[in-house]
Amino acid sequence: MATAGTEGLIAIGAGLAVGLAGLGSGLAEKDIGAAAVGAITENPSLFGRAMIFTVLPETIVIFGLVIAIMAIFVM
Amino acid sequence: MLLPESMSRIVIVGTKSRMEDAINAFYSEKSIHIIDHTTGDDGLSIGTTTEATSKASERLIKVRSMEKELGINKHTKTADIAVEEVQSRISAGDVEGVEDEVLKTVDARNDLTQKITELNSKKNTFELLKRLNELTLDQYSGYKSLAVLVGTTTDDASSVSIEDAEVFSSFDKKEGGVVAVFVKKENKEKAFAALADVGFTEIQVPACTEKVAANDACAKIDAEIEAANAEIEKCNQTLEELKEKYMSFLKGCDEELAIVVEKGSVPLRIAVSKYSYVIDAWVPTKKMDSVKANLERKLGDDIYVEFQETRGRKVEETEAQEPRFQNVPVKQNNGRIVCEYEYATSLVSVPKYNEIDPTFLIAIFLPLFFGFMVGDMGYAIPFIILGAYGLKKTKHKDWRAIALVLFFGGIWAFIFGLFFYGEMLGMHFVGGEWEAGTWVWHENHVAVGGTTVSWDWILGAQFPSWFTDAICSVGAWGQEDPNTFGVGVGKLEDVAFLLKLSVYIGVIHLLIGLVCALVNVTKQHGVKEAILEKGGIVFVFFGIIFLCLALTDMMFSKLELTGGTPLIELVLAIVCLVIGIVLNAKAEGGMQAIMSLPEVIGWILSYTRLAAITMSKAGMALAFNYIIFGMIMTTKATGNFQDGVEIVAFDPMGGAIMLIVGILLFCFLHLVVWTLGILSAGLHALRLQFVELMMRFYEGGGEAFAPLSEVRKKTFFSKNANNIKEV
Repeated sequence: MATAGTEGLIAIGAGLAVGLAGLGSGLAEKDIGAAAVGAITENPSLFGRAMIFTVLPETIVIFGLVIAIMAIFVM
Repeated sequence: MLLPESMSRIVIVGTKSRMEDAINAFYSEKSIHIIDHTTGDDGLSIGTTTEATSKASERLIKVRSMEKELGINKHTKTADIAVEEVQSRISAGDVEGVEDEVLKTVDARNDLTQKITELNSKKNTFELLKRLNELTLDQYSGYKSLAVLVGTTTDDASSVSIEDAEVFSSFDKKEGGVVAVFVKKENKEKAFAALADVGFTEIQVPACTEKVAANDACAKIDAEIEAANAEIEKCNQTLEELKEKYMSFLKGCDEELAIVVEKGSVPLRIAVSKYSYVIDAWVPTKKMDSVKANLERKLGDDIYVEFQETRGRKVEETEAQEPRFQNVPVKQNNGRIVCEYEYATSLVSVPKYNEIDPTFLIAIFLPLFFGFMVGDMGYAIPFIILGAYGLKKTKHKDWRAIALVLFFGGIWAFIFGLFFYGEMLGMHFVGGEWEAGTWVWHENHVAVGGTTVSWDWILGAQFPSWFTDAICSVGAWGQEDPNTFGVGVGKLEDVAFLLKLSVYIGVIHLLIGLVCALVNVTKQHGVKEAILEKGGIVFVFFGIIFLCLALTDMMFSKLELTGGTPLIELVLAIVCLVIGIVLNAKAEGGMQAIMSLPEVIGWILSYTRLAAITMSKAGMALAFNYIIFGMIMTTKATGNFQDGVEIVAFDPMGGAIMLIVGILLFCFLHLVVWTLGILSAGLHALRLQFVELMMRFYEGGGEAFAPLSEVRKKTFFSKNANNIKEV
């Protein structure tokens, strides 16, 4: 279990894990999203596939979240 | 149920003289999918449309143009009309009659609009000439040796000096200037040059012989415009009357003629010779016999139907056929409720003939995941109501799909909210518990200076035990600390448990996907190929699971890897991983085999979003509830103490204004959480189907089964249900 002194560091670490992972997902998703909207405008039947590509990088932020939760609840 | 319906190929041969009857018979079967004929060296050519079809398409264009003129569109509500009535009126020339009537009024209206445009331009000119009030309109024209230059200027033209000319001008700083110059024809060019200095732009004055002032002419034009507008209004009224009178007939005609044209274009897709026609078609295998019997009954000796093959799912079987017959149309084989989810599958693509249709799995897991993530009785009830209303009212497939997820997802959310989380509107039903004869609130509670609000605290009464016993708690799942917090799984308290649960759900979901992949390849190529192609990833999957179990035991349960369960798990993991990597390396190459390892971890961890979304909704609701009950609404001291802090109770009578503000804010803030719930829970539930599940096995790219059939919405058969004349 964490001592009183390290609790703050764990919290900062958890915050960084989610925040930076979110930033990464956002950067990846912005380009795909723009291209996907363009593709759907041309051909609406591409919606499903466009959505799959757009949400692919989302998993990165989930990894960050898992690490953050583990840091807070498990460490 | 999982594979698309089995299809059979037939050949239909018939005499050309009865082709029209035959096409009607095909339409009434609603299960014949024509394979387009491509001209080859078999002595057959593509058929041609009949004269009746050209006439019908001509009429269809007329009907659609009339509908446009009268403002009849697909949203216009009209009464249904009998097919026999439409047909008899069309053959009696009613379309042309109605067209005459409509066109006459439309032309009149167009003429009037044109007239008004002309009058307006005339009026604009006269408005300018009004400012030269010493001249009457007849003075601007009718000279033999004089040229009249009339126009606008940007500067004052009164100072312009032109030889042998008379200049009338008026200037206003805001509106600019107007000038009329009467000059000898031979000096016209000079006058132009002089006027250019003041920014002259010439305007044409309409010829006028009457001696009338511009002012009076303007008034006259105004009266004419008014009269024309009144006429247009009359035309519009007439058109409105015509619309009322004919809209039902026109929409009926539109539908009927479209069907006639579609039927008429069938010969363009089939092969014909001088006296006969030949059609290759796909029919669902189970309807084969009835189609054959029905066609032979209706057309007797004039038709011959021959069965060709029932297509299996093996790839070799398909590849042995000529290219035209390789593609089998796909008729998804789902029940009444599951088929509503076919739209979700089609967003990715239509399944192939020889692969599992994932619609059934989507129908199960999409609402389940949605419900798990929402997991709140309070949010579930509006979801169910909205979903049921949507399903009852809407016919648009996009909205139906959303309503469907809301309805079934809402039911799951209700079940999870009541029995699993024990929660309504972000608040647990039970916040305290009996300990040694007294009701104790847990420390993290508004009652004793915490942040969590619960229903029993708000109501000031405990729920009966039969109710609370029905709600599950983490203790029931074999955790070390039973009743960690209240009754029900705490979304923000039992995080580790929820994360584990999400991962287990993910493992099951992915396993179903991998089994489907194995089944697909087995159906397409055989068992050996299935193991070689997909077996590797299945072994890697199990290997990673065992490895994770061993690592969890070592890291969190502090067990040694050298003995007991962790050792067994580790050995199993190594065995599975080695087999998996070898199989993968053989199937897809060494690099791909190594890459698949982190990929599998990624798939599984992706399911932790189930817990993450649940937590984010609960976190928002917790904050909002604390704002409302802990900060806005009033509480009263009870005089009892727990851990040295006085216990407070909710006091609805404390202040009327704060109560109203609190309730309004409560509704608004929970509406926010609810709306975000649709977006995040809905999208993520869909993503887990599309990406995590379907990418394990689904290829898609099939051609949808499109049988010949009439779609009638506005017309109906009044005399008998069977529209095909029995022959």
